[in-house]
Amino acid sequence: MSRSSEVSRRRRSVLAATVTAASLLPWRGASADDRAGPHAHAFTAAGKDVLTVVGPWEMTGLDPSRAGYMFQRMEVVETLLDVSNRGRLQPRLATSWQVSDDGLRWRFRLRGNRRFHDGSEITPENVLMCLRRAHARPGVLRLADIRALSAEGGDIVIALNRPFAPLPYLLTHFSVQILAPASFDAKGNVVRIVGSGPFRIVSISMPQQFDVERFDGYGGLAVPGQVRRARYISVARAETRTLLVQSGQAELAFSLDPPSIRALRTSPKAVLVTQMLPRTTFLKLNSGHPILADVRVRRAISLCVERQGIARALLRDADLGASQLFPPSMSGWHDPALAPLRTDPAAARRLLADAGWLPGPDGIRYKNGQRLALSLTTFVDRPELPLIAAALQEEMRQIGIAVRVVIGNSSDIPAGHRSGNLQLGLVARNFGNLPDPVATLLQDFGIEGGDWGAMGWRNAEVPATLARLAAATQADPAPDAAARARVAAVLQAELPVIPVVWYRQVCAASRRIAGVSIDPFERSYRISQLQWT
Amino acid sequence: MSMHSLSSDDFIDTAPQRRLGRAQLAGIVLLAAIGIFALFGPWLVGIDPAAQQLERYLEAPSLAHPLGFDQLGRSALARLAHAAQLSLALALVSVLSAAIPGTLVGLLAAWRGGWLERVLAAIADAVLALPGLLLVLLLAAFAPGGFWPLYVGISLALWVEYFRVVRAATRILMASPHVEAARLLGFGPLHIVRRHLLPELLPRLFTLMRFGFAGAVLAMSALGFVGVGLQPPTPELGVMMIELLPYYGEAPWLVGAPVLTLFLTLLGLLLLSPEKETA
Amino acid sequence: MTRFSSPRMHDTSLNLVRRIAPALAHRLLQAVLVALLVGTLCFFMTRMLPGDMAYRIAAGRYGYDMVTTAAAEAVRLELGLDRPWPAALVEWWSRLLQFDLGVSQVTAQPVAMEIAWQLGPTVRLSLMAMGLSLLIGPTLGVLAGLKPGGVLDRFTLAISTVLRALPSFLLGLVLVLLFSVKLGVLPAAGHDDHGSIMLPALTLALGMAAVSCRVARDAMVQVRGSAYFAFALTKGLSLRHALLRHGLRNVAAPVVAYLGVQLVYLVEGVVLVETIFAWPGIGHALVHAIFGRDVPMIQGTALVLGLMFVLFNALVDAACAFIDPRRRP
Repeated sequence: MSRSSEVSRRRRSVLAATVTAASLLPWRGASADDRAGPHAHAFTAAGKDVLTVVGPWEMTGLDPSRAGYMFQRMEVVETLLDVSNRGRLQPRLATSWQVSDDGLRWRFRLRGNRRFHDGSEITPENVLMCLRRAHARPGVLRLADIRALSAEGGDIVIALNRPFAPLPYLLTHFSVQILAPASFDAKGNVVRIVGSGPFRIVSISMPQQFDVERFDGYGGLAVPGQVRRARYISVARAETRTLLVQSGQAELAFSLDPPSIRALRTSPKAVLVTQMLPRTTFLKLNSGHPILADVRVRRAISLCVERQGIARALLRDADLGASQLFPPSMSGWHDPALAPLRTDPAAARRLLADAGWLPGPDGIRYKNGQRLALSLTTFVDRPELPLIAAALQEEMRQIGIAVRVVIGNSSDIPAGHRSGNLQLGLVARNFGNLPDPVATLLQDFGIEGGDWGAMGWRNAEVPATLARLAAATQADPAPDAAARARVAAVLQAELPVIPVVWYRQVCAASRRIAGVSIDPFERSYRISQLQWT
Repeated sequence: MSMHSLSSDDFIDTAPQRRLGRAQLAGIVLLAAIGIFALFGPWLVGIDPAAQQLERYLEAPSLAHPLGFDQLGRSALARLAHAAQLSLALALVSVLSAAIPGTLVGLLAAWRGGWLERVLAAIADAVLALPGLLLVLLLAAFAPGGFWPLYVGISLALWVEYFRVVRAATRILMASPHVEAARLLGFGPLHIVRRHLLPELLPRLFTLMRFGFAGAVLAMSALGFVGVGLQPPTPELGVMMIELLPYYGEAPWLVGAPVLTLFLTLLGLLLLSPEKETA
Repeated sequence: MTRFSSPRMHDTSLNLVRRIAPALAHRLLQAVLVALLVGTLCFFMTRMLPGDMAYRIAAGRYGYDMVTTAAAEAVRLELGLDRPWPAALVEWWSRLLQFDLGVSQVTAQPVAMEIAWQLGPTVRLSLMAMGLSLLIGPTLGVLAGLKPGGVLDRFTLAISTVLRALPSFLLGLVLVLLFSVKLGVLPAAGHDDHGSIMLPALTLALGMAAVSCRVARDAMVQVRGSAYFAFALTKGLSLRHALLRHGLRNVAAPVVAYLGVQLVYLVEGVVLVETIFAWPGIGHALVHAIFGRDVPMIQGTALVLGLMFVLFNALVDAACAFIDPRRRP
């Protein structure tokens, strides 16, 4: 008996040791160094004074062109210029700008005495390096035909080959953010984010979360109750984002779906803030595809879309049904006189029959033995998109088009565009991407089309008109209105993209913060203006 | 519940129960009800599950439409009936296409023995080394939104169980006196299989099929829930659950219906098995 | 189930190793097979996925703005996507066995590094879930088994049946609705709160506890009805003493053996639960990678999950051998 008790005692102590070791294991991660680089996990619990922002977007990399908008929105990095709510240019890192009379030479004066988060000075050379880097890659700077970038005195000088009026708007884009030289490694890759904004990075754990804290060297008055620490977390499901706000774990939540909006209306912990954005949800068509090259087919698709129905059922607001590509908030581009897009399934069927597509035995149309079948690509980042895709699929089936819905992620659209495989894509394009819509439209409807615009569409008039608008110097602003109306009219008639609904951004804000406003250009969450109540 | 809920060792000693207890009766009733709903429901309801009337979105249940309409104005009852039919049919087909080859291969392995048996056992081990859902997920990654990855994946994950059970049982049976006598007397393999082996194997196979069926339904709905299942507008229980989840505040009956259907199906299958075979 | 109250063999460590060795060798072989299976599937994924794989990889590496057809061609040559599949498959395997997991196509970070950071949360979740289930299940089961047919017994039977018919994702949903929305007690998702592990762990634990409860209960009933237990009681030991010295080890054996079966539920459940609760572990990363068609990440995460499964199984085998000296694993 003694032997067995000795044995069992030994066994018990071994068991106890194992259990203790196992329970100690999990806490190893809790003391990870906070500033150890992009993969350090900050396991510290979000305290009461950390503003938590939650959205669906993830960091796919540190490079400005990949997920730079996330750092811009959390006010970690800055650009040369800003825009107001109405789209007027405002100084940021550049205090003033001027253009020569022939429109070929732009000069931007830099703000002096500004420092990056690591203490290094913001010199024209640093700024120039970032601009050159952005220009070396295909990006927004390629829209302007830039001949040379240089620094003269304390100014940045940009020389163009052709006049390009929206140039300053290009400099507000997140891909042209100004980072400190310490952000780059020897090969020119971004290894850390050292910006110049009111907040600095504390830790990044890719791809889901990063923490920021206020940078005292930014200047400005310290207001009591202002937000000093903040965190962004990426959560894929819209209900989970809503739950986080409802349970008080998050203070700001974006990209909510309509049922969540309804649920939050009666929540004691949150208020809803809404803002119409210059954003339209539309069907991007591959006009080079043999089926879609025929404008009658495109018009037929447009005729079967029940815009008001979709807006009412899925977005809970019938007014969001798009009558044309540009929403009313884009004054100057939205043309009230333009004949609105109609819904008429009977006319759609007639158009398809005229184009040679006749109904087959399964209800789908055929022409010379080919089935009228297309694939519709969309993504889940915006929760309403898959629903709208499902609604469109059924509406197109009613007129005899078989549509296969493919739900992936947002990079499928540019990939499909460049490889030529995309047939139909459902996207929500932000025309405020570059605050002057001319620049965005040049991106989308230029000669070669764009990732988020026309694809394979052969039309010379629109690119030429847009180029002319861009090249307009101060001299003759009058034809602008007519030119813009013409662009809208051609897009409405030719339908390289088919508008579906307009967009209203809804953000849930906790009652613990005050001063919430939505940036219509989606460039900033404005957390530096928030205060704890 | 998971796809491989039991190890085959548990089966060698357990004799199948013949008496029907109260629980088994309840299980049979449940399964019969769901089976009838799945079989005749789509025909009885008669509404196209994909037809949408956007203006009737989230309409409350009424006598004409007992489950109302979903977020796109589609009849929720029609979608549920089609979803139940699809889930149960796909599960049944997967289970059968796992059971039949698995049994045959198990018989073959035990009969032949030698290197063939060892190779097959190694392959079975490889498949068992990966949890079933993972295997199905990997296969679903090949063609997201398609039928065949689900079907192939579930069948592949399930056949191993039949192989192992049949092989183990056959080996024991082959060593038994009456099979040896039959062989000595010159009866062919087909006869021996039919007269001696199958009657012993069938009860255990049926039990396996019950759990395989549950696992298949579960795997499909899990994949649909996670988002790599069948693509719209195919009605499937898991896809419906995740689609209707955001509306639990305004229309809880919509998400409750597929949840209840799945739950009752699994409950029925569970109740069929006697308490001894805890799994 | 055989019973024993004192070890028949001298249980030295050498005997322990000798008992476990064949099982461990078996698990090692399984690990290699898992790696080959996952690797092969992912290899064929690169070749069979719709869309241009080389283009995707190049775009993931350089960013969509930068990618050109030349870059895509370079990637195609580098990955051997133009070569016949048998040779390429062998090369894929050799890379895998050298632990070269490649680079994520979405974030352009090494897969091994990403997984290293995701492993922690998943391991914590699994251990917590396992711990909770062992705490809840066998305890209730033993108590229920002490009075078969009693109130607790019937209660646990009913609850256990209901829980077993509820898939893990449904259970997670119900728990979230109950605890986070209605009661506001526990955090709904994310990773930033020490309490946020509770709901995901509880979801998994309840599902597993439902089964282990009944297994423990059955074992307890058998032990209680056995001769040696009655003898212990007549010897004069109190119920508690008899239970601790003689009963628990016999109850533990089938419970631990059943752990092995439940590991499947655990690993599959981890994938589902991490997705529902946005728990940044490997399961979440796997689903994410499937969405993004990020094949290196799919391979890496599936591999880690599979190997974790094999490892947990090996641990359970060792625990079985530890507890029951007569069982041949």
